[in-house]
Amino acid sequence: MNPVRRFFRRYIFSTIGILALFFLVNLLLILSLLISGCMSGAQGGLSVQALSGHVTRQNGVWTADGAAVSLLRENEAWAMLLNESGTVVWEQDLPQELPRAYTSAQVASFSRWYLQDYPVKVWAREDGGLMVVGFAPGSWVKYYFSMETPALLRLLAGAVVVFAFNLLLMVFLMLRNTRRVEKAMSPLLQGIQDLGRGRHRALEEKGELAEISAGLNRAGDYLLQKDNTRAEWIRGVSHDIRTPLSMVLGYASQLEDDSALPPEARRQAGMIRRQGERLRALVEDLNLTTRLEYALTPLRREKTDLVEIGRQAVSGVLNGGLPQQYELEFSEEHPGRAAQLSGDPALLRRMLDNLIRNSMVHNPQGCRISVTVSAGDGQAACTVADDGGGMEAAACEAMNQRQDVFPLRGSAGGGEHGMGLRLVRQIAQAHGGTVRFEPAEPHGLRVKITFPTGGAA
Amino acid sequence: MDHKILLVDDDRDLLEMLCSIFRRAGYAELLTASSGGEALRIWREQNPDLLILDVRMPGMDGFAVLREIRRVSRVPVLMLTARGEAEDRVAGLELGADDYLSKPFLPKELLLRVRAILHRAYPEPNRRVELAASTVDLEKAEVCRGGERIPLTAKELQLLEKLYENAGRIVTTGALCSAVCGEFWQGYESTLSTHIRHLREKIEANPSRPVSLVTAKGLGYRLNLKGAKP
Repeated sequence: MNPVRRFFRRYIFSTIGILALFFLVNLLLILSLLISGCMSGAQGGLSVQALSGHVTRQNGVWTADGAAVSLLRENEAWAMLLNESGTVVWEQDLPQELPRAYTSAQVASFSRWYLQDYPVKVWAREDGGLMVVGFAPGSWVKYYFSMETPALLRLLAGAVVVFAFNLLLMVFLMLRNTRRVEKAMSPLLQGIQDLGRGRHRALEEKGELAEISAGLNRAGDYLLQKDNTRAEWIRGVSHDIRTPLSMVLGYASQLEDDSALPPEARRQAGMIRRQGERLRALVEDLNLTTRLEYALTPLRREKTDLVEIGRQAVSGVLNGGLPQQYELEFSEEHPGRAAQLSGDPALLRRMLDNLIRNSMVHNPQGCRISVTVSAGDGQAACTVADDGGGMEAAACEAMNQRQDVFPLRGSAGGGEHGMGLRLVRQIAQAHGGTVRFEPAEPHGLRVKITFPTGGAA
Repeated sequence: MDHKILLVDDDRDLLEMLCSIFRRAGYAELLTASSGGEALRIWREQNPDLLILDVRMPGMDGFAVLREIRRVSRVPVLMLTARGEAEDRVAGLELGADDYLSKPFLPKELLLRVRAILHRAYPEPNRRVELAASTVDLEKAEVCRGGERIPLTAKELQLLEKLYENAGRIVTTGALCSAVCGEFWQGYESTLSTHIRHLREKIEANPSRPVSLVTAKGLGYRLNLKGAKP
């Protein structure tokens, strides 16, 4: 997955986790508060029932024991006992302003609310009396709750809905916010990644992060400028070297073919000519690899037959005069079957030239080189194999593992020939193809390049 | 070889080398110019058979010279450039250059191309191809073998001309097919081998063991002239 998206996905998950934790902790806190409230309420409250037990009728007179009195004093409360007809038959600290007899309507009223601002609690005794305990005004809150059952259920359901709605709203806003941040950040992060890979696309310089976008653009332009300078420099050098090299090749060839010269001098001139040709190949590789790397010229794609390209490459080498110690042959895996793909014929030809040359350069003692083209299953492939010294399996694997092109200098590419192979891979990649190196049997190197042909085959 | 060749390059050393290459190859009439303007003047005055034209020159460059020449003349022109880039090549060919060679080049590459251009532009009046067992008259399109005259078909003649232009070198199947039927030659290979068989029957002493028109296995064919090593 894209690391930028992965980052924001993680961010969203962690925020949802934080929300869940928040609710859980709150739930626990509220529960503990309620529990502690209940506990303290149970301990500190004056039980009217208990008090009632301490008030008894002895010989027609209502009396309370000492415990009842001390209970009331502790709670700064007063008490009275009403008989069935509503008359006070016993009292303790009953304020003066309160009546000593109550109608049933008054009893019904104060048992639910207040008795002249005094919060009261009542207890119906078994003997038909009503024990009433009153507290100082303001010390208790009395709240009466009654509701029809369906309405209560609706209220509860409503509360749940409101809670859920709030939760959803919160998640929605959080997601929207994240999305906005992601939208603002993604191009920047992508830009940084691209820059890391040596590519740069200009970012839009707007919004709150415009300055950062501008900074990235500046960095990109700087890199591009440096790259261009390098490409220009390489082009300049390879251009300027062409005319002098023409002269070296021209005169060396003439001396080599001059029958008036002693054989030794002609042999030496031949050596100059051959080295000049190597230098020419190097300059052309350098120029081409730069062009491909910086996409200075687009591919000239046309319908191309890989079989014919292979024939041209092999014929070209044979026509140029193949040194005696080498053997070069061409074959088709399925003779008569075209291996067509959309590609740049000059570049593909160059790729095969480089592979053949690579085999020759690595095996100066001579070897047998075979070029094979095959087609089928939506792909076309060409294989250049030799029976020379070859490359160790581990080295082949190291070459195959590399996804990028080879460095100009490096152990894998191997000194001066690194660029030829680098170019092979660049050309293959430009055509969507892959390069595979493997040891040949019993010895030697086999390089297979596979191209997708799409619908062309 | 009596063709008059005009060599144009702003680098005098290179010009000298070009002269030496052509002189050794037997071209006697050589003209030189070191600028576009001079090239046009000499071309008008001397009317050469072929121009070797450097692309990059101060002032009037090779393309401009070519454009000027192509207004009035079809004289063969080979462009020479220090840039191997495809756009240059295409630009040159679009302007009507006959061929294109990028520096650095080997003398034999240059001579091969010049010969091919001259062959095409100035066909010899009596082009006869001497082969081991026969002689082919390309003008009359007939083969002379042991006193017998055998006519060639148009396709056979086209094939022989292509092979003769590249005598001693392998010509790929694709190149031969496109010489006969143009750009879209896919699927023509089997017809090509029929033509080759017929050609061998006409030019070879023993068509089943060809010595003049030999097969390069998997690649194409090669025409060996009389006296050349097989």
